[in-house]
Formats: sequence, structure tokens, C-alpha cells
Amino acid sequence: MRKKEEKVLVTFYTTAEAMATEKACREAGLEGRLIPIPRELSAGCGFVWCAPPKLQSKIEELLQEKEIAYEEIRIMMV
Amino acid sequence: MNLFYSKKTLALAGVIMGVIAIILAAAGNPGNMAICTACFIRDTAGALKLHSAEAVQYFRPEIAGIILGSFLIALATKEYRSTAGSSPMIRFILGVIMMIGALVFLGCPLRMLIRMSAGDLNAYVGLAGFAAGVATGALALKKGFSLGRNYETKKAGGYMIPGLMVLLLILSVTTGLMAASEKGPGSLHAPLLVALAAGLVFGAVAQKSRTCFAGSIRDIILLKNFDLITIIGAFFAVMLIYNITAGNFHASFSGQPIAHAQHLWNFLGLYIVGFAAVLAGGCPLRQLILTGQGSSDAGCTFLGMLVGAAVSHNFGLASSAAAAATADTEAVIGGPAAAGKAAVILSIAVLLYIGFVAGQKKAD
Repeated sequence: MRKKEEKVLVTFYTTAEAMATEKACREAGLEGRLIPIPRELSAGCGFVWCAPPKLQSKIEELLQEKEIAYEEIRIMMV
Repeated sequence: MNLFYSKKTLALAGVIMGVIAIILAAAGNPGNMAICTACFIRDTAGALKLHSAEAVQYFRPEIAGIILGSFLIALATKEYRSTAGSSPMIRFILGVIMMIGALVFLGCPLRMLIRMSAGDLNAYVGLAGFAAGVATGALALKKGFSLGRNYETKKAGGYMIPGLMVLLLILSVTTGLMAASEKGPGSLHAPLLVALAAGLVFGAVAQKSRTCFAGSIRDIILLKNFDLITIIGAFFAVMLIYNITAGNFHASFSGQPIAHAQHLWNFLGLYIVGFAAVLAGGCPLRQLILTGQGSSDAGCTFLGMLVGAAVSHNFGLASSAAAAATADTEAVIGGPAAAGKAAVILSIAVLLYIGFVAGQKKAD
């Protein structure tokens, strides 16, 4: 079984925002990927952006610059 | 702690749901149908006299059970959230379309899998269409499709449909208000308490495991993630083993219970189910689960499915099943009539408009 690691997770209100984040991070060369929202966080079936914790501030800046709305940014083991 | 986060527990969820389907089939539900969400919503619509197709009218306790199972487990595990406000009328229409597609194919994705496990090759054609529909929906998501965010609303908002199902269940048992088939699929059913208990457990397990037939393929396409398909795979494996050992497995296109071999329409019927399900955020089963855990938006889709079932039968959109000739009747080729074919084409046009025009950010 894969060992859990600490990650920064960005949750969204809609899938469109998750997709826009993936595109923006790819264009900016920021490491990370979309994953299904962890079951501990939500009973929904949406996506979250998952990235190394060191990128948290860069991701926040990018989301503000691109005016992409998000619900929450948090660090957790996934 | 949420027990449903490892692949093993997800597979166990699929096994439990498979065993429930087997119990229901053995207890009297129609062959290859067991716990088909679309078929049972269609029967429920008939019981409520929303349509008058005499062979498919019965208030299915499984539907009430699935919604209530999700509702109760969500309350117990603090996952109940009353939400609303994400394009409810579009979701209603998506529900109507999902039901039209399912009744052209003759089953939702859940029954597709049950039919596949019994060797019905038409269901494999349907699977190809379903996957193509999910892929089209995934493309719309990639391009920025959204129905907008939902919002927390009055806690009681999410109680309405579970409460309505309790009321209707009581009325179905204690009064003669509901229609009930005397022959045909609607007349075949498990005993009330078995059906209700099965629905409750099925709904609870589906809620905790986030089971979704459309979501499982969507996640593979968009995320290369195989969590949700694990549940579906385990469900299929259980049903396949049961059907082979019980001698129910017959690989063929013809002679299958309540099915037809019109390949194009089997493909397109489930194509629109898959496409609409991705846009609506879940397959017909998932819509019932989301309704139970408090989503009034999913509740709108559920009501759309009820109306879609009524429209399908009142206006001849639903397919007929193929049947061999008997001493008294000629063979029936089965499949949709012209009205059903037209409805499928129109539905594809509506879905393309919703997915690639109306639901895109630039449309606002």
C-alpha cells in the first residue's frame, strides 16, 4: 500500500474551478495533480488539487492572479 | 474514521451490493433486474399513476430504502448537508433525459452490469455507449462545464424527499391508492420487508463508498484514478460468479430477459445516460444517494427521472423487449419506436447544448 505523505489540498465549489486550476498550474510549471476529494473531507465526488506543501503560497498567488475561486486550502496526509 | 478509503473496503462495498442484488433476484424481483434504479423509478412512477403502462406499476420499497439508507447513514456519520441552488431546472431536464435513455436501452448502468453478468451481449454494446457518453461529458468538464456551485440551505430542505418517500411507502402499504401490476415486470417483486431492508443497506453502503457508475469511468478518464471502478468491478464479479454457478449465464444477443438487440439504440440509449450523468454529477443511483444526504439539486434530478419515466411510457418512447413467437403471438424484434428514436436524437442535441454552450463560463 502506498505510504501517505503530507500534501497541500485545494478544494473547490465546482469541477470547472478544479479544471481551471490544473490548467493554470500546468502553464505555470507548478507540480501537482487533480485527485478525487478525500472521503474524510467530503461526501461529494468532486476533485481537489493535490501538490507538495512547499508550493502552497505559490498556488494561492496563482489562484488570485487567475481569479479562480476555491473553497479551502489545507495541509493533510493523503 | 472513514472506513471506506482503501481499495479493499471499496471492493467489499461492491461485494455487499452484489449480494443484495442476488438476494432480491432470488426473493422475487424480475430476472436480470434485481435492483435496477431506472426500472424501479419507472415502476414507482407507474404506482403513482404518472403513467398507465399496466405491466410496470409497483411502488418499489427499494427506491425509498436507498434514499432513506443514504439519509440515515449521512445523519449518523455527520455527512448530511442540506444544499441547493446549482441550476435545478437543468438538473431536472438531465434527470428526464437520463430516464429516456435508460428506458430505450431497458435499464440504468446498474442493470447494464447485471445484464452483462448474465451474458446479455446487448449490455456490452450499452457499456460502450455509456463509456462514450461519460467521455463526452468529461470533455465538457475539461472545457470548463459547470452548473454553478450549490449553497447551504435550511436543514429541513434536504428532509423533504426522504420524508415524502416515507409517506408514500406508508400509503403504498396501508391503502389501495397506488396502482400495482397484475402481470409483467411490475408484478414480480420481493416481499416488502426484504425489499425495504435491502434498499436501506444498499443505500447506506453506496453512500459511504460514494458508488457511482458514471463517476468511476469519469475518474479513469480525467484522473487515471481507479477507486470507484473497484466497487463496480467487485459488484460485477459477484454477480458473474453467481450467474455462472446458478446456471443463469447465457452469452447471446437474443433470448435475454427484458432486452432487445437493436445495437445502435442500445449504444445511444446509454450514451445519453452517461453524458447526462456526468453533467448532473452522478448516475441515477448516485442521484438517489445525493438526494438522501441532503442535496435538493439531486432531488430535482430524481423528480426529473420520475417525470422522464412517465413521459417515456405515456408517449411511447420506451423500448419494447424482444420476444420469441408463441402459438398465439408473432415474434417481437423489440427496441424503440420512431418516437423513442427521435427522443434520443433530441436528447443528444440538448446535452450538447447544455454541455458545450449553456454550461460553459462564457455563456454567463
